[in-house]
This record gives sequence, structure tokens and C-alpha cells, in this order.
Amino acid sequence: MLTCKEQVARSSDYLDGQLTFRERLLVRHHLMFCPNCRRFIRQMRLMQATLRIMPDEPVDGVEALAQRLADERLKDHKGGE
Amino acid sequence: MAAADDAHLLERLLQGEQRAYKELVTTYQSAMRAVAYAIVGQRHADEVVQDAWLSVVRNLARFEGRSSLKTWLLTITANAAKGRYKQNRREVLLDDLPSPHGTIGDDRFTPDDGHWAVAPYAWHQDTPEALLTEDELRKCLEHTILSLSELQSSVLVLRERQGLELEEICNLLTLSLSNVRVLLHRARLKVFATVEHFEETGEC
Repeated sequence: MLTCKEQVARSSDYLDGQLTFRERLLVRHHLMFCPNCRRFIRQMRLMQATLRIMPDEPVDGVEALAQRLADERLKDHKGGE
Repeated sequence: MAAADDAHLLERLLQGEQRAYKELVTTYQSAMRAVAYAIVGQRHADEVVQDAWLSVVRNLARFEGRSSLKTWLLTITANAAKGRYKQNRREVLLDDLPSPHGTIGDDRFTPDDGHWAVAPYAWHQDTPEALLTEDELRKCLEHTILSLSELQSSVLVLRERQGLELEEICNLLTLSLSNVRVLLHRARLKVFATVEHFEETGEC
């Protein structure tokens, strides 16, 4: 049986589907009997979901950059393609 | 973004429509910046992203939709970044920098049997939306992400925020799968520690 410390060490690989079949069973088995580790994994998933929906920081100068890129495209295009 | 959306956006980009470029930059700049940040570091990341954008525009007509637009943009960014570092390719630094709220480290477990010595604190919220209603927590998370090493933070952003597969991250950043796994795990534990600290104390 895995210890809690070993379970935590494997937690990212567990969440990313990177464990072998046997290791995955070991983690599942541990989780079945360990409420603390179940809470840990549940909160890891919640942390992941939180990062996912966090709003992006606005890009500085997006209007100007977009204009420059559009101009660049039109210039290239005129140059014959 | 689905292939059909890509194709539609591409058409507008080829016509030089400013709004289409704005959409492109808004959607993809964060992911591109994360790739550049990992390869050339903070000092040169912005320049690399600028170079990459110009290269994107010049090669737009050659995009054939064999990969998604996102993959294509990130590959161009990675190439722009690697070009800049061709001479002195950095070693993969797995350095672990201290984080504002620490991590879930060895001290959380009893030395003799590896059980939790300090059990994970139960968070008050159980949805991401509820957690993020605290604007303070969002700032606190941004602060923690900034404290990570360049590689750790980029791998975290590319995986959790941009939803890239581990394989894609390996290819873009020229890292081994085991390095990506280590970087990601360390980054996650630090972010976990930040949320835990916030939930426990109500402050950053």
C-alpha cells in the first residue's frame, strides 16, 4: 500500500494519465481508504479548474499590434504573391 | 478553436482585416508568450513574440491547416525563440525557487510512516467560479505563478490554462517527458499551497 506521501508524489501523473496500469491501481486503492488524500486530489482538480478559468491578463497595445500586423499583411500582399 | 473557425479567421487575416488580427492576438498571445518565456526567459520573451507575429503574417498564405492554428502559431514561436538561442542553448534548469506560500513538501508528512502530519485543509468553496469570486485570490495566484521559475511557470500555463498535451509541451520546449512531469508537479504543488493558504487565512 502506498503512503500518503507517495500518493502525493504520484498525484500529477495520476491526474495526467501518466501512470502505468499497476501504479494507477495502487493510487486508486490508497484513495479508497484515505479521506485526506481523496480531499487532496479533489482539491488538486479544483485548483486545475480554477487556473483554467482565470481571466487572461489583457494584452498591452493589442489595437496597435493588430493594426501593424494587418498593414504588414497588406504590404506583403501588394508586393506580389 | 475548431478547424472551421480557424479557416474562417484565416480568410479574414489574409484580407488584412484589423479586427481579425486583434482576435488572433487576444486569443493566442498568452500561449505564445508562455512558449517564448520558457525558452529565452523573461528578458527576451516579448521580443521573440513580436518576431513570431511578423513571421506568422509573412507565412500566413502557407498555412495549410494540417495542424490547428494554435499548434502552428506555437511552433513558429518556439522556432523564433530557439533561433535566438542557437548559440548558447540553455541547460534545462530544474531549479526550484521558493514560492510565497511554500509547497506540499516533506514536512507535511510524518517521517516514520509517510501519513499526513498536517492534513490538507478543507477549502470553503467547491467550484472554481466560487473560488474566483475572491478577486484577492486571483491576484494571489498570479503572484505565485510569477514566482515560479520560467520553465515551471510556462509548463503550468501551457498545460492548465492552454490545455496542451504533455507531448506537445515536450516538442515545443524540447524537454523530455520526465522533465515536463517534474516541472508540472512542482508548479502545481506550489499553486495548491497558495490556494490552501488563502482558504485557511483569507489573505494572500
